[in-house]
Amino acid sequence: MNAETTTNAVHCSAIRKSFGSGETRTEVLRGIDFTASQGEMTFLVGPSGCGKTTLISIIAGLLTADEGHVSLFGEDLSALSPREQILFRRRNLGFVFQQYNLLPSLTAAENAAVPLLAAGMNRKTAVARASEMLDQLGLGHRVSAMPRVLSGGQQQRVALARALVHDPRLIVCDEPTAALDHKSGESVMNLLATSAVHPDRAVLVVTHDNRVFHFAHQIAHMDDGVITHVDQQALNSRLQSSPS
Amino acid sequence: MIPIAISMLRHDGPKFMALVLAVALAAFLTQNQASILSAFLGMTGSQIRDVREANLWVMEPDTECFDQAKPLKQTAVQTIRGFSGVEWAVPVVKVDTNARTEAGKLSTVTLLGVPEDSRVGEPRMKLGDASAIYRRDGAVIDPGGFSLLFPGQTFKSGMKVRIHDEWLTLHGISDAAPPFTGFPVMHVSQTTAMRLNRAEARATTFVVGRMLPNADQQAITASIRRETGWKAMTRTEFENASYDYYAAQGVPNLFYITIAIGFVVGIAFTGQTFLMFVKENARAFTTLKVLGVTHGQLGRMMAAQAGLVVFMGLGIGTALAVGVTEAAKLMPFLRALYIPWEVALACGGVIAAVTFLAAGFAFNKVLKLQPADVFRS
Ligand SMILES: Nc1ncnc2c1ncn2[C@@H]1O[C@H](COP(=O)(O)OP(=O)(O)O)[C@@H](O)[C@H]1O
Ligand SMILES: [Mg+2]
Repeated sequence: MNAETTTNAVHCSAIRKSFGSGETRTEVLRGIDFTASQGEMTFLVGPSGCGKTTLISIIAGLLTADEGHVSLFGEDLSALSPREQILFRRRNLGFVFQQYNLLPSLTAAENAAVPLLAAGMNRKTAVARASEMLDQLGLGHRVSAMPRVLSGGQQQRVALARALVHDPRLIVCDEPTAALDHKSGESVMNLLATSAVHPDRAVLVVTHDNRVFHFAHQIAHMDDGVITHVDQQALNSRLQSSPS
Repeated sequence: MIPIAISMLRHDGPKFMALVLAVALAAFLTQNQASILSAFLGMTGSQIRDVREANLWVMEPDTECFDQAKPLKQTAVQTIRGFSGVEWAVPVVKVDTNARTEAGKLSTVTLLGVPEDSRVGEPRMKLGDASAIYRRDGAVIDPGGFSLLFPGQTFKSGMKVRIHDEWLTLHGISDAAPPFTGFPVMHVSQTTAMRLNRAEARATTFVVGRMLPNADQQAITASIRRETGWKAMTRTEFENASYDYYAAQGVPNLFYITIAIGFVVGIAFTGQTFLMFVKENARAFTTLKVLGVTHGQLGRMMAAQAGLVVFMGLGIGTALAVGVTEAAKLMPFLRALYIPWEVALACGGVIAAVTFLAAGFAFNKVLKLQPADVFRS
């Protein structure tokens, strides 16, 4: 990994976040410094409850940190108005959730088209473009299917199409394989690695599924609100089987 | 995003149906009750409007509406004719009495005596000829009265109705407007009416007249009141007085209660259902927020959902109200029933406003959904 060709897509410094107040106050993030680079797939791993989801929520601008600083592609989200934050998210971020979060009333193509429709693209063009994306992900034959008739793996691929369709610069995935069997999970991660990773894009994946660790370029290990260590060469070390 | 909003609502079939039916029920209830009320109160002026030629009504000071009128001495006609600006004046005799058919059917009836010379107040006819009332025992009857006294029968000239010890012969069916009282309205000659007016033999009930085209109507009625002590009103004033008299009796309150229930059920039910809809679709709404759908877009989505519910609900409810009204009109007593467009519009407008308000409450919940909850399962 050469530092000259990679840019910090995500940069967090000294992030603190606690929930509740008084007796019930719990500090979930206790000073996080973290970076993720364009062109790379970064894993955030660690035991359940250690604060992974809280951290990516803050990175994605869905939560605000109590302390510390987050910038995405050099932009400080906290300096933007709430509306500007929404528009920034719409333009630059793609999301993949554990539970897929497809709209049950929409077809696969319509679901995948939502980010384009939200941005005001006309329906026909948006659905056509979403169908192309589904085709690239091997779901070209299911564009008109409703979510309820799709398998979990297929639904997650529709969600992946939705995350990619507007060509965002950062993709945030929270436990994308946790609801899937090993084979479907492997195939979703494969698609993430082949379709989502792009020189202008960072992919951030929260997981505790160690069966898919080999897909990562970088693995940040988290425990109890802090990042304990980062494996920078995870992917390369696997490919070259050389010590880091 | 609007088609997405519509598909979300349609996908939730039971709630979509509940919303449409709630709006339809509210529209039906309010339009139906409001139109019945307005038709009933409109009937309070039926017999006043039916004397088409008259624009001046004079009566005893205690008389408050057409149906409950005190007798007026017969010489009143001459007195009224003496006022300047009065083109002509004639007596109108109204007699409320009991009638019986050969089959033994009994009813209170309203007899209206038409003066033979001027024929003022002679009814328009549905069947037969009005001039038959000037025969000694001749009469015509209104459609509602006929169906009340002769249920299930078809009219034949020569059918008889007994009043006191006299048999009147029915020669036709008049087109008299339905009376508020619901009693049969029979037109007879003034002579017949006075003969059958056992209680007040030599009295009239009203003096009706016509004021000259360019006369100051208020000045004329004021001078009659001042110089005679009787009540004198323009036709419109008397119609309004009769309307107000019944409106003040409390019956309209029953209608207002039903109408209010219609609106309250409308808002309570749609409000509750919209809230449930938002609650059950919280994941979808939260996901949309996370994917960058703005509050403005979400607001337009909910407005579209409310709009569809209003469109379908009002359509169904109004169609139902019109259908019921048309069916009810087939009954002779309810022949004056109709839904004034003002009533349909006002009820529809209030229901639409109420539905959008209910959707607004639900939208407030959408605004409060936390984007970060998108990762919670
Ligand atoms: N909104 C919240 N209110 C209170 N506690 C929360 C909230 N969100 C997360 N937590 C707590 O913060 C801790 C970390 O949660 P989370 O970030 O979801 O962990 P992970 O994703 O690593 O499993 C947990 O103990 C959780 O209960
Ligand atoms: Mg988590």
